[in-house]
Amino acid sequence: MAATTDHGEQHEERHAEETDEASASPSPQSSPSPQSPPAPRRRGTGRLATAVGVFGELLITAGVVLGLFVVYSLWWTNVLADREADEQGDKVRDTWAHEEGGKPAEFDPKKGIGFLHVPTMSKDEILVGKGTSTKYLNDGIAGYYTDPVKATLPTSGKDGNFSLAAHRDGHGAKFHNIHKIKKGDPIVFETKDDWYVYKVYAMLPETSKYNVDVLSAVPKQSGRKKAGKYITLTTCTPVFTSNYRYIVWGELERVEKVDRERTPPEELR
Amino acid sequence: MYGWIWRHLPGNAWVRALISLLLILAVVYVLFQYVFPWAEPLLPFNDVTVDDQ
Repeated sequence: MAATTDHGEQHEERHAEETDEASASPSPQSSPSPQSPPAPRRRGTGRLATAVGVFGELLITAGVVLGLFVVYSLWWTNVLADREADEQGDKVRDTWAHEEGGKPAEFDPKKGIGFLHVPTMSKDEILVGKGTSTKYLNDGIAGYYTDPVKATLPTSGKDGNFSLAAHRDGHGAKFHNIHKIKKGDPIVFETKDDWYVYKVYAMLPETSKYNVDVLSAVPKQSGRKKAGKYITLTTCTPVFTSNYRYIVWGELERVEKVDRERTPPEELR
Repeated sequence: MYGWIWRHLPGNAWVRALISLLLILAVVYVLFQYVFPWAEPLLPFNDVTVDDQ
């Protein structure tokens, strides 16, 4: 406290402020209790002390708000996104179940086209839907690219690249453990009728966020030259930032029909 | 600032503490519900897609 500053001023309203500050400032009295009436003290220390005090309180407040923002980004958005993704995933499975019964429901790729299973990355299934807008991915969904390079859906049966993006941190953090994926690991995409089993053959741990070539139908950077059925996972790296992009490539190994019990392929057992 | 608020709250210390707690919860709610969702897209922490712009 700036106890040496002495403005020699005194205002009536200052008495109220000094009441609480009395305990914090040096006082001529030997043992002032905080509840006692304002002890006689040097006048004028109050104004600067108050200014410094308010400034300090603002700094503390800013620190607490930033801390809360971290809590929000890394925890609360996960809670919201997981809830949303679970709900939408259940709806997709409901739709599938009802379609068995007869009339096919209206197909809306926005509501989810299937589920991604990557056992080495996450033991949970990841709902896959159309689009990679921030707002959409924030629901804890892995989106397939429509822009700048349109993804080729495996269900189309054509050669091409099934390119996906999802959050690394916050908002479900569906691709958080993407760095745990190794060469040879399976990536399984589940639709209503089929299991598409991909095998990882290349990773790119760090690339520019402008590197849209990783999404091309034949991703040359992965080492492949010929047309084929590829899958590409993209997310941000390093964790907690988005300076670069992390890429994982896989190639379709086989397609299995979904049976009545929806028995998962051996890679997921 | 906080001292000023404390002095202007009614009631005894317990009542003031309770009101303070409610005020803090209200502030946290407003932050989580409105301020952070607004601020987040403006900060470069969570872009996951590759893009040519």
